[in-house]
Amino acid sequence: MVRRVRGLSDRAIAWIFVTPTILLLLAINIYPLVWTVYLSFTNYRANRPNREIEWVGTRNYERILSDEGVWENLQRTAHFVTFTMLFQVLLGFGLALLLHKRFKGHGLWTTLILLPMMLSPAVVGMYWKYLFDPQIGIFNYLINGIWDFGTFSMTSEVALAPWAIIIVDTWMWTPYIMLLCLAGLRSVPDYLYEAAEIDRASTWRKFWNITLPMVLPFLMLAVMFRAIENFKMFDLVFELTSGGPGNTTRLASIDLKELAFDRWQTGRSSALAIILFVTVFGAMNVFVKLMNRVKAR
Amino acid sequence: MADIRIDRVTKRFGDVTAVNALDLAIKDGEFVVLLGPTGSGKTTTLRLVAGLEKPDEGRIVIDGTDVTKAQPAERDVSFVFQQYSLYPHYTVYQNLAFPLKSPLLKWSKPEIDARVHEVAGMLHIEHKLKNKATELSGGEMQRVAIGRALVRRPAVYLMDEPLSSLDAKLRAELRVELKRISVELGATILYVTHDNVEAMTMADRIGVLNHGRLEQIATPRDIYQQPDTIYVAQRLSSPPLNLVDPSLFGIEAPAGTSTVGVRPEDITIGQPSGVEGSTTLVERLGAETVAVLQVNGTQIQALVDPQATIGEGETVRVGVAENAPMFFDRDGRRIDAPRAGG
Ligand SMILES: Nc1ncnc2c1ncn2[C@@H]1O[C@H](COP(=O)(O)OP(=O)(O)O)[C@@H](O)[C@H]1O
Ligand SMILES: [Mg+2]
Repeated sequence: MVRRVRGLSDRAIAWIFVTPTILLLLAINIYPLVWTVYLSFTNYRANRPNREIEWVGTRNYERILSDEGVWENLQRTAHFVTFTMLFQVLLGFGLALLLHKRFKGHGLWTTLILLPMMLSPAVVGMYWKYLFDPQIGIFNYLINGIWDFGTFSMTSEVALAPWAIIIVDTWMWTPYIMLLCLAGLRSVPDYLYEAAEIDRASTWRKFWNITLPMVLPFLMLAVMFRAIENFKMFDLVFELTSGGPGNTTRLASIDLKELAFDRWQTGRSSALAIILFVTVFGAMNVFVKLMNRVKAR
Repeated sequence: MADIRIDRVTKRFGDVTAVNALDLAIKDGEFVVLLGPTGSGKTTTLRLVAGLEKPDEGRIVIDGTDVTKAQPAERDVSFVFQQYSLYPHYTVYQNLAFPLKSPLLKWSKPEIDARVHEVAGMLHIEHKLKNKATELSGGEMQRVAIGRALVRRPAVYLMDEPLSSLDAKLRAELRVELKRISVELGATILYVTHDNVEAMTMADRIGVLNHGRLEQIATPRDIYQQPDTIYVAQRLSSPPLNLVDPSLFGIEAPAGTSTVGVRPEDITIGQPSGVEGSTTLVERLGAETVAVLQVNGTQIQALVDPQATIGEGETVRVGVAENAPMFFDRDGRRIDAPRAGG
């Protein structure tokens, strides 16, 4: 039998430990969420706090879901999330495979590669604005060194801007994926490769049957974190392009911010926020199920 | 099938000399067991033959080809690792089929299937073929690991304590099975263990390793009856060899004798010729009984008749069977003595 501390039951002790967390969660997560749900059914405007709040039913949702602009916006966000994930997985895994070789100076290289990740996204946005500058930017200079495209602007041309934000996000966050892949690679016990060596397996087979299955759970976890973050992407892109030119880099969060704090349509923006929340939540649930399947393999 | 020659091979890890000038020739189709305690260099020796380690000095020749610098895949060996090292994402079937899918072998699917089932049957794991490798007990994993080595017909089989994690019954069963397989296939096997029963029952020849050096290599019978050193005699004695002063039993020892070794089974109790001693502990192990005795302040272990009604704290006469003692000089080397049948 476990001796009770000063007459408190195990259950009471458990409650004492979790109560602060529960209170905090209620105050800063659950309450705002419930409040947002409520506001999304009203015409509340945060810049007119004294006006009477009117219940409008599902009108906010109807208007958002029938708004072409919102759908385009979600498509842009999906484009951004898909390509950043694709590039970051390919580059991150590739770099991890290189660094795993433990060549001379690999520690220094790892640190250097990790640097972008440690900067603030807003700073990265500002910084790349200069790198992308058509006149003085080093990016254009380097690209024109490879192939002469003449004058072009990554951030202000409609065809290029969506790729500009993908390039910058990839530059910043590939190290993150790489780091988790590296952890995955380090978790593969040497004896598996030795066994495969004895069994005279080809290099390709070793990669496909040992390396990849062992790293996949790590990779999927990294992708999940990054995909959620990028679905909510705001600061980096806002600094870099402010959603422009036109609406070409106007991602969901930028749209949301403008609706809520430039046009002060708090009710409608709450409805949009709830829609985005449900979308991410649903997608992640599917992803987590998939991930558990991979892990159980 | 092939023969192996290990030519004065040395392997060091920093300050540790794991294998020290090892000389060993294994004939085609021979079953050689290396016996030694943990840390004596057994695993390293196998890894050197497999090519997973490269020797600092010496040569390794398999089937007439110098493979000292060859990659593992070029040597055509199979290896049962001390830790199971199964492919965790694979089923038992896929684990067993893996070596047969090497680009160097061109087996058809039905051939692979037949072979996998044959080996699985041999090791009693046919009902587990569909299980994931991680869903097995330790003993089952080890059998799959053995199976993975047996599916192929390599030049040489290398086995690193493959039976050590199995329960006694299965171990005894697989001991017989492995011996049978080796005879049937005419396989060249280098097998390492710290278990002298395994060594005695399976080996054509036993090599005893001591800190990376080969102390002696001989047939089980010879190495048991004619150990070159105290170390070898100790390794092959269970319960432990009694090492006593020549004067203790009044044995007539040849010149230069510093220690006399008497096996527990060679201690006699109740013979009038013996000296007086007392029992301090009697361990009844079923098939055998071990008596721990005190004779003139020296502790002696004896194997006694399980039927005997010997009890603890009794005074008995303790002696040594005729021609049984082994005489060792100051360096632990045996002094050749006249022995019956020896
Ligand atoms: N990779 C290694 N690095 C450093 N020392 C090692 C390594 N492998 C083995 N050794 C050392 O070599 C000696 C022999 O080890 P090993 O061959 O594993 O012995 P055994 O298999 O007989 O237990 C031990 O002292 C061990 O610590
Ligand atoms: Mg070992």
